[in-house]
Amino acid sequence: MQVTYSLSSKMHPLLRYGLAIALVSIALWLSLALQVPFGNPFWFFFSIAVIASTWFGGRGPGWVAVVLSTLVVLYFFIPPYFAWEVKLRDVPFFLTFVLCQVVVTWLISWRKATEDSLRQAHSELEARVAERTIELRNANEALVDQMAEQKRTEEVLQLTRSELARVVRITTIGELTASIAHEVNQPLAAVVANADACVAWLSRDNPNLVEAKAAAERATQGATRASEVIVRIRSLINKATPEKTRVQINEVIEQTAALAEGQASRNEVSLQLELAPDLPPVLADSIQLQQVILNLLMNGIEATLSVSDRPRLLVIRSQMQGAGQIQVSVKDSGVGVKAEVMGRLFEPFFTTRSKGMGMGLPISRSIIEAHGGRLWAESNGSDGSIFQFTLPSENGPGA
Amino acid sequence: MKDTDPVVFVIDDDRMIRDGLQSLIRSVGLKVETFASAQDFLTAKRPDVPACLVLDVRMPGLSGLDLQLKLSEVGIEIPIIFITGHGDIPMSVRAMKEGAHEFLTKPVRGQDLLDAIQKAIARDRALREERQALNEIRARFESLTPREKEVLDLVVAGLLNKQIADQLGMSELTVKTHRAHVMDKTQADSLAHLVRMAEKLKISPQK
Repeated sequence: MQVTYSLSSKMHPLLRYGLAIALVSIALWLSLALQVPFGNPFWFFFSIAVIASTWFGGRGPGWVAVVLSTLVVLYFFIPPYFAWEVKLRDVPFFLTFVLCQVVVTWLISWRKATEDSLRQAHSELEARVAERTIELRNANEALVDQMAEQKRTEEVLQLTRSELARVVRITTIGELTASIAHEVNQPLAAVVANADACVAWLSRDNPNLVEAKAAAERATQGATRASEVIVRIRSLINKATPEKTRVQINEVIEQTAALAEGQASRNEVSLQLELAPDLPPVLADSIQLQQVILNLLMNGIEATLSVSDRPRLLVIRSQMQGAGQIQVSVKDSGVGVKAEVMGRLFEPFFTTRSKGMGMGLPISRSIIEAHGGRLWAESNGSDGSIFQFTLPSENGPGA
Repeated sequence: MKDTDPVVFVIDDDRMIRDGLQSLIRSVGLKVETFASAQDFLTAKRPDVPACLVLDVRMPGLSGLDLQLKLSEVGIEIPIIFITGHGDIPMSVRAMKEGAHEFLTKPVRGQDLLDAIQKAIARDRALREERQALNEIRARFESLTPREKEVLDLVVAGLLNKQIADQLGMSELTVKTHRAHVMDKTQADSLAHLVRMAEKLKISPQK
């Protein structure tokens, strides 16, 4: 089909018309050649010539073949032979021949036209499909690009967020400097006292080795304690990409409370831990959890500062909260949170403190939410407020 | 060790520091008692010997400065050596005004602390002796009869026997007898001695 199609449409017109003339000539020659031995006129070859011309050459050559074969038949095969005349009795015969030729040509060319348009429609459809395929591929590539871009943006956002968290952490630690200095200085003072004692025991006229050894051992313990404090603070300050491990929440609470202890006692606030035993571990970044708890403790201490008619108390509680959720709450005996402030607590840059940055709570909330938990505040009327968060335990449904 | 051996009280909430200071002080042969909080020290029974107090300024509960105030309120005089985490000037001024003996910054050099302790104990010993002497004088003066006390007041004021006799409406001889008793009971060697003793009692009235 493809071949004939290309023949009729791509062949040069001269060739197509030539083909018609050639076919009619061959038909004439064959008819004449066969008429000599057999006597009957073999007009059928003209039909074949017309059909072939129309088929291969198209409508124009078809008609040319019709006209030519009509003329040739008229001249050679209708008596009187070799003359442009028709006897009356041969007219119906001759006209039938012509009519047949015309009808055949018409039918074939109609058929061809239909076929051609069908073929054209088909190829147009194919072209359109190819076109759409390319469009789709382009759209798909653009989408892939966009997704990669979005992923990159998300990565940058994540990075920015953890960097911001670190900055807030460092700011918080900045507020703790005096407390931390005390925390480090205390064991160092123990080291110096014990080392001096050790030297003193050794430099007596009658050196007491037992006492000297005990003092030296205490000096070592003090130095170890000092370095532990440093390690703890450095891990809070260091740029660390969040890394989730199995974490015992009570250990995190205890470590963080130790950091805030100095700040609390300086302000005459007592920290009270009520930790439920045997809590399952959580899958979390312990530094980020420390940050959240430290932030809540610092806020709690701050909240109790204006209290003078009752003990300044900060209770940190951990407990199981059904359905694999661990809940940690920090309750202060402060002045409480005013209703109009309550709604804005978690807005970035909202702060009630003169030195506050207003990022502590929003960052804390985003950290807890990134761990699949929830952080919220409740006012305890004039008896202070409670900040609490939940975390899915490692074997809980939310983990 | 004798009962009058001096003792050093160490109050610090940090066990490691407490142990270190205790060891350091014991190494030079002094007696040490340690307390984890100011409250513990207040409720503890303290021996009546020369002593000094080594006190951490910053402690949970009753702070070092609070304890200093409390002690002076109840009239307990004991030299205090303060140890502070960071040289806070207003705080040290306040402590010194209240009579702190020494103010040392943490971490304290062992020798500095021991020197301060020795000085503080020496001062406490001197104070104790002075207090004791005064108490003895007071006891002697209190053994005088009302009449003898009247005579004493006038003698110390510088009046002659005759003037005293006139003022109290008694004979000069009686005055002389009372005066002899006064000199005798107060164990005064001379009139000048008697006057000095009387002055001391006036300067530090009985507590």
